[in-house]
Order: sequence, then structure tokens, then C-alpha cells
Amino acid sequence: MNPARGVGWRRLRFRFDWTLTLSAAFVTFLGLMNLWSAVHDKQSNLFSQQISWLGLGVGVFLGVAMLDYRTISRYAYILHAVGVALLLGVLVFGKMVGGGRRWFELGAFHVQPSELIQLLTAIALGKYLNDSPALEGRTWRHLAIPVLIVSVPAWAIAKQPDFGTAMLLLLVFFTIMLTARLRLRTLGAIIGFATLAAFPIYQHLLHEYQRKRVEAFFNPNSEAGYQTRQALNAIGSGRFLGKGFLHGTQIRLRHFPALWTDFPFAVWAEEWGFIGCFVMLLAYLVLILWILKIAGDARDRFGATVCVGVAAMFFWHVFINVGMVSGLLPVVGVTLPLISYGGSSVLTIAAALGLVMNVSVRRFSY
Amino acid sequence: MDIAGQDAELPEIRRRSRYFALAVMIGFLVVAGRLFYLQVIQGDTFFRVTSDNIVHTDLLPAVRGQIRDRKGKVLATVRPAYNVYVTPRLLTREGFARLRAVLGMNGDEAMDVWERIGGDGGPGKAAERPILLAEDISREAMAAIETGVDLPGVKIVSGPRRSYPMGTMAAHVLGYMNEISADELRAHKDEGFRPGDLIGRTGIERQWDGYLRGRSGFQKIVLDRRGLPKPDIHDVIEGPPVQPAVAGNNVILTLDADVQKSAERALRNVSAAGVVVMDVNSGRILAMVSKPNFDPNEMSGHLTPEAEQRLLADRYKPLHDKSLAESYFPGSTFKAVSAISGLEDRLITPEDKVKCHGSFDLARRRFKCTKTHGVVSLYEAIVQSCNVYFYELGARPGMMDRLAKFGSDLGLGAPTGLGLNGEDAGFLPTEEWYREQKRLNPKAEGFQIGQALNAVIGQGSTRVTVLQMALAYAAIANGGKLWLPQIVERIESPDGQTVEEFPPRVRREISVAPETLAIIRQAMVGVVNERKGTAYRARLDDNIEVAGKTGTAQVHGRHTELGGYEAGDHAWFVGFAPAGKPKIVVSVLVEHGGHGGDVSAPVAMEIIHNYFENVAPGDRAAPKIGLPRHHLKTLDVEAEAP
Repeated sequence: MNPARGVGWRRLRFRFDWTLTLSAAFVTFLGLMNLWSAVHDKQSNLFSQQISWLGLGVGVFLGVAMLDYRTISRYAYILHAVGVALLLGVLVFGKMVGGGRRWFELGAFHVQPSELIQLLTAIALGKYLNDSPALEGRTWRHLAIPVLIVSVPAWAIAKQPDFGTAMLLLLVFFTIMLTARLRLRTLGAIIGFATLAAFPIYQHLLHEYQRKRVEAFFNPNSEAGYQTRQALNAIGSGRFLGKGFLHGTQIRLRHFPALWTDFPFAVWAEEWGFIGCFVMLLAYLVLILWILKIAGDARDRFGATVCVGVAAMFFWHVFINVGMVSGLLPVVGVTLPLISYGGSSVLTIAAALGLVMNVSVRRFSY
Repeated sequence: MDIAGQDAELPEIRRRSRYFALAVMIGFLVVAGRLFYLQVIQGDTFFRVTSDNIVHTDLLPAVRGQIRDRKGKVLATVRPAYNVYVTPRLLTREGFARLRAVLGMNGDEAMDVWERIGGDGGPGKAAERPILLAEDISREAMAAIETGVDLPGVKIVSGPRRSYPMGTMAAHVLGYMNEISADELRAHKDEGFRPGDLIGRTGIERQWDGYLRGRSGFQKIVLDRRGLPKPDIHDVIEGPPVQPAVAGNNVILTLDADVQKSAERALRNVSAAGVVVMDVNSGRILAMVSKPNFDPNEMSGHLTPEAEQRLLADRYKPLHDKSLAESYFPGSTFKAVSAISGLEDRLITPEDKVKCHGSFDLARRRFKCTKTHGVVSLYEAIVQSCNVYFYELGARPGMMDRLAKFGSDLGLGAPTGLGLNGEDAGFLPTEEWYREQKRLNPKAEGFQIGQALNAVIGQGSTRVTVLQMALAYAAIANGGKLWLPQIVERIESPDGQTVEEFPPRVRREISVAPETLAIIRQAMVGVVNERKGTAYRARLDDNIEVAGKTGTAQVHGRHTELGGYEAGDHAWFVGFAPAGKPKIVVSVLVEHGGHGGDVSAPVAMEIIHNYFENVAPGDRAAPKIGLPRHHLKTLDVEAEAP
């Protein structure tokens, strides 16, 4: 075996990326504190479940970090195909919950492939960009295969229906393509086209509840705006220093659907105030910028693209989630990475960070 | 792979990812700016609005509408009642023991309640919401709770309660209410019911529940952690903060409390009976009695298990509405239908005579008469209720179906459409029906002439309700109008405005010649006024000419071991007055009462007397239509001569 490509544990220990690991661990720690605040006075096993997921996540993280990512790149399309197959399977066999099919039920676990496909799409795009270099800026004709890679899963997710996650996948896609030398004019044309398409999509393809959310965004006093209004009350009432750990009252004492997957930030903001929010956003910023730094140091386009993709995943998740909770964006079901409760989210993020670690560890080997 | 190309693109990705990093920072800055605005600039406003608020919803119960008689007398209303609420979290064991003593709960009840409020810990114990512990407690109990030692978590709240000020009067018409079941809650989930609500179970309370109920409202108030209201804060309330209760409408009946009272009084000597008193010229019901009855006050929430057992076990079936939910053999009251059938289809004329030897032989069977009447015309046959005359008519071919046809025309054999208390349709058999029975069960007789002989005197398989007979006789009295019976005159809003009015409705004009009806009416006058008439002994001394027909319906199983009360004949009298210009019809059935003329006719006469004496003295004036008294006597002499 080529010693430069030597398998992992020694190399990982030697070049371990502490900045990446510690900033991610810090965010995770904030998330656990927040979850504890929610469940400490209820009979709920959410907290211990989340601990188990995180334990499993650490394993996935180390495992993915140890494999040579070029091995992963070799199976990129197959992995992507498996992910798409899972998504299509969910549409057919998934569990019907609240008018949509988003999960597989595996024993006690809910598997949500729409999280994993974001990472797999980044990997497949990395593979494509790595295999077909462009000397000039990429234009329409370079887009055929990437569009194919992203549009099938995006369609399947929108069909679930989970419009927020589908949109998020497209945002990650555009971020990757833009970084990979997509010509700005081409991007402009795509955005223009998308804007034109938005209205008919809103009218015909969105479900009733989705339209209500958008309307609630523009008219916060409506019935459907109740959730947003409560979230705003919670955030605002946290003021500068917050009400203190375990002292939030606005959200966790009320009936609030999807609180621990979509709205944990409101609880955090209420208990820790602006200072707490600032610290959390800063931790995310450090993590994202560090991942982009690793992208810049990567030795090949696959590594760089995957890192950009993971950074984009983090950024768009955080931006959209905090934006919707604080009333900047309509309510869409997008998780807050490492803070939201849920196995699919935790394991996907763990694998993503493992890949980034992998790239970081191998940045000097050619 | 082209190394050069790869090298050429990597720095570009690196460069562009730096722009992306810049975009990330700008994005985070925007979000942080938003949070700064919400938490630091607007923070105090949000904090004041939301700090430690609890939204509390108070139910505003709707006042149920009244039920009144046609003169405005209140038959059902709402009175304040005192209910005990406890807040489980605050209630102590000592407090509960005291409460238990004051309310007189026995051991089992107390255990149930203690468990319901989660007495010794458990999920219910932490509840902040007060729950209803006891309803409509006595004034003494209320005084003991209010003035006694401090009872933490116990609260007395007055609430509206259904009340029937006339007690048992018209109980079956009014009906009663009790708590809505879980199944009904699901079935009516869009109609604003809540657990614990009462719903009309029988009578008007059930049938007109939607009008009477109104709609309960609510008020949401914001309390701080100490339970003090914070009236200036609304944002945390989902939906509208107040929805006022809408009071129910009043239902005004056609019933006349005075007539009802006199009808119930007239039944004082009988055990089980049904009575309908109706306006002949509108189909409006003035009184409707089913005896024995029940107290709707007791039924609506105060029914002890023992009392319920007693009501269900009672052989006279107090909960069953005998005026319309039960059908009986009509007996001789059905002869009016038989006579109409014969006259209309020209099988007989008023002049035709039949000689009664006391029985009628058909094949090997002997059909008995009440006595030997001698030679009788239709008039005498009705007056003295001679069966042989009608047997002779019944033996004509096709008589069974003819009875069914004219009976249906008079509204028998089908629900009258009053729509109260599960009306019984009664039954009119046809030849085809008998043949059908034989097809279904080879042991049955099939159709035989003998069945027509039974049917023609109102026995066999013919069954009618008291209400149906009132309507049929009203049609005979008023010259052929079969009314749709009416018990609700109008609906009135809580402030007294008429919301909806129900004018009398004719169901149909019966297809019987007016002359035929006149002949029947005249004969019915004879029933009461001829010395030999079956109701002669019950006639009134005052100047009101009453027409009617008695009936003594034999009950199946008379000769079985059943024996006793249940084997006695049903006693009928259906009549109207004044005969020359009919105003009211009275239909009386006394279950197993014996002879119609002896038992039911006096009841009807008392009701009629009271009506024209006290309720509507102006209505008694009418031309006399009866034949001279001595008429029958001459016939008797002729009959005895040979």
C-alpha cells in the first residue's frame, strides 16, 4: 500500500484538526444544554435519545474521517443513487405523518433521508467537478449533469412535501456551482428564471399549509402566525442577558409543534438573551469559516467541493432556521445543525464533519 | 487527468470560497442585527408583554331557552344552581374530608372522586384547572362551605340549571336532559358541545335542542404567575379573546297548561293511560298526557341509581310515551273507519238493517257480539257498538284491503309526522300482508275472511296510536281535513321577538264524501246521548253535545297464564265537541282499564267539560245534530216483536 495513502488512525491522530472538532463540540454542547432545559421537568426520553445519537455520531465522524476520501469519491455516484432510491422509497413506503411522507420507520427510529441526500449530493457534485475540469467559466452546457444530480432528489423532497428542505438542497447546489467557476451571467439567468417560476409554484405546487405559512409571514397577526408570534415573544423577551438557564417560559410551557426540531433557537434566545445568541452564532461562524479554510487548503477539487458543500449546508441551515424563528423568513421545516433533536440530522452532520476532517487530515498528501 | 487543468481550477475555487466566506459573515451579521433589534431594542416591550403569562379560558355557558305553553306559562326554564369546583393541586386531604361530610358523599363516591382529582399524587394532582366536583348543591351545603373553616382550592360557582317549574306536568312532551356521551361528542363535534354538557334526551328538549341550546362562549384572560389578571396584554392569546355566549331561543308550544292540567287530573283514578286533546280546526295539540309520568327535574341530573331502577322496573312503564310511542288495538273506535269504508264503497246504506242474534257464524267459527241487539241499522250499530252488523260488512269480499285504504286515508298505519319521542306508526293489515306472512312462515294461516271480521271491529293485527285516533276523528269532525299535528307554535328569540312561526298545515283532504262524515257524526252523538249508547252513562249534564265512540279492545294473551293486570281490555274513548260545530277532539286510552264507556269516556267528558267551562266558554255554542232521544226505543220494540 502506498504509505502516503495509508489508512487512517495514525494519520488522524497525527494531524487531528482540533479547531474543527472543538468548535463543533462546543455547538453540540450548547444544543444539549438547550434540550435539557426543555425536558428536565417533563417525563421525556428525548435527552437520552439525543445523547445516544451523538454517541453514534462520534463513531460515524471518526469512521468517515479515517477512510481515505478518495475511496469515498470512487463510490460517489453509487452513494448518491442509494440516497435517491431511499428518497423515492419514502414517497412510496414512508410513514404518513401530518399529511406528508418524510420518514421511514425502522423499529423505534425515524429515518429521514432528505437530510442525508444533501451530503450525498455534495459528494456527487464533487466527483463530477473533479472528473470534468473546466478551463473557462462553466456555462449552461456544463450544468446538465449537476442539474440532473440535484433535481431528482429536490423533486422527491418537494413531493413529500418538504418545500423548505428542497429549497435548501437547491441553495447548497447553487453555492457549490458558484464556487466551482459557474459563470455569473449563467447564475443570473438561472435566478431570473427561478423568480419567474416562483409565482406559479406558489399558486399551484405549494400545499395549503405552506401557503398559510407564507401568508403568516406577511401578516403575523393571522391565526397561522401564532407560532411565529410566540417565537418572537420568546426571543424578544430574552432581552440582552436572557432569563437564565431553565427559566424560559414562553415556548416550552405551551403547546408548540416541532419545537425540538425546528424552534430550539427560540428557547435558547429566551434563556440566554442576545449574548447567548451571539455566542452561538459566533461558534457557528468559526466552524463554517474553518471548513471553508480547509476547502481552500484541499489538494484536489473533490475535497474542496465537498468542504464548500458542507459549509453551505451549515450556513443555509443556520441562516434559514434562525431567520424563520426570528421572523425574517417564512416558517419552513429546517433544522439547526447539531442543536436540533433528531438522529437523521445528527448522523448526517457527523458524516459531513468526518469528511471535512478527512480532507483536512490529507491536505498535504499527493 | 490533466494536472494543469486541475491546478488551474483549484485556486479559482479557493478565491471564490473566500467570497462565500464573506457572504456567510454578512448573512450572520444580518441575523445578529435582527436579534439585536428584537432582544435589545424591542426587548423590554416583548418582556413586559410576555413575562410569565398564563392564558386562562373561562367558559361562558349559554342560557338555554324556555319552553312555554301557548298562553306564556313557563314549562321549562333555567334557574341558578350552585356547583362546587376544586383545584386538585390546592386541595388538601383534610379539606376533602370536610367537603365529603358537607356534601354527604358515601364511601364509594368519595373514592371515585378522590381518584378523579388524583388525590394521592398521580398525573391529575398537579392540575391547575378547577374541576367540577358536585352540581346543584343544597343551600345548606353551600352555606356550610362558604362560612366554614378555610377550604383551600374549593370554590362555589353559580351556574344555570334546567328547571321544570310545573314538576311532572307534561313530562313526556317536555322530555328531559342529561350529560352528553363521548360518542355523541364525537358525532356532534362541530356543534360546540363540551364534555359535561347536557343534551336533550326526549320530548321537546331533544327534538328542538338545536333551537333551545344556544351557543356557549368563552373568555380568555391572561394571568401572571400569581394568578392576577393582566388585562392590558392580548398578544399571547390565540384567536379572539372573547366570544360571548348566545342564549337559546324560546320554544312556544301549542299546549295549554290548563287543558293539560285538567287532562292529567281526569286520569287520577287510572294507572296507565294516554290522552291527546287537539284543536279540530288546526291540528294543534292542546294537551298530551302519558301516565304514569316522571319528574324531568329529577331525570335531568338528579337521578339516583335507585330511582332509575325503580323507573325502569315499573310495570306501567313511566318513561314510555303512551300517547304516540305505543300502538294498541283500536277496538270498536275503529268501527268509524269500517262504517266509512262500507258507505263510501256503497256496500251499505244508512237504511240497511241486520239482525243481531248475539253472534255471527263463519264456517266453523263463531264470532261473538257484546250482547243480542236485534235488528239494527248503521246508526244503532254504532251507538250500541254491535259487532254482528260489522261482521256482516266484514265478510264482504275485499273488505280487508278496503279498511286499509280508508284507514290510511285517515292517517292510520303511518307516523303522523309530529316527530316526537319515537312515534309508533301503528299498523293496518292487508290481504297481501297475511299472504306474505304465510310465505315467510308456512305455519301461519294466510289470509282468511275471519281476519277481516276481526279487523272490521278493530282487533286482529290492526294497531293505532292515541294521537293517530285523535287526528282521524278530527278529520271526521271537521269535514275531512287531516291535519299535520302540531306541538310547537313558534320560536321566540331570547328578547321576545318571534323568530319563526309555524302555521297549521293540512296533511291532506281525505277522500270521503261530507255526507258520509255527517252520518258518522250523527251516530257518534248517539253513542253519548242515546239511552242505549255505550257512553250514555258518562254524558255531561251541561248543554254541550258530545260525539264520540267507545272501544273495548281485547288484548292478545287474555287466556294465557299472564293473567292479572296485563290481561285486561284496553279502554278507549275518542270524541269531539260540540258535535254541531266541533272545536276539540279528545282521544283517551286507558291501558287494561276495562270497558271504554265506563273508564275512558268519563275521562274524556271531564276534559271536555273543563275545556268549555274554564278554558274556552265561548266555543260551546253550536247547533244540535243528534236524533231525538226516543228514536232508538221504537226500534227496540220492533226488534223484540217477533
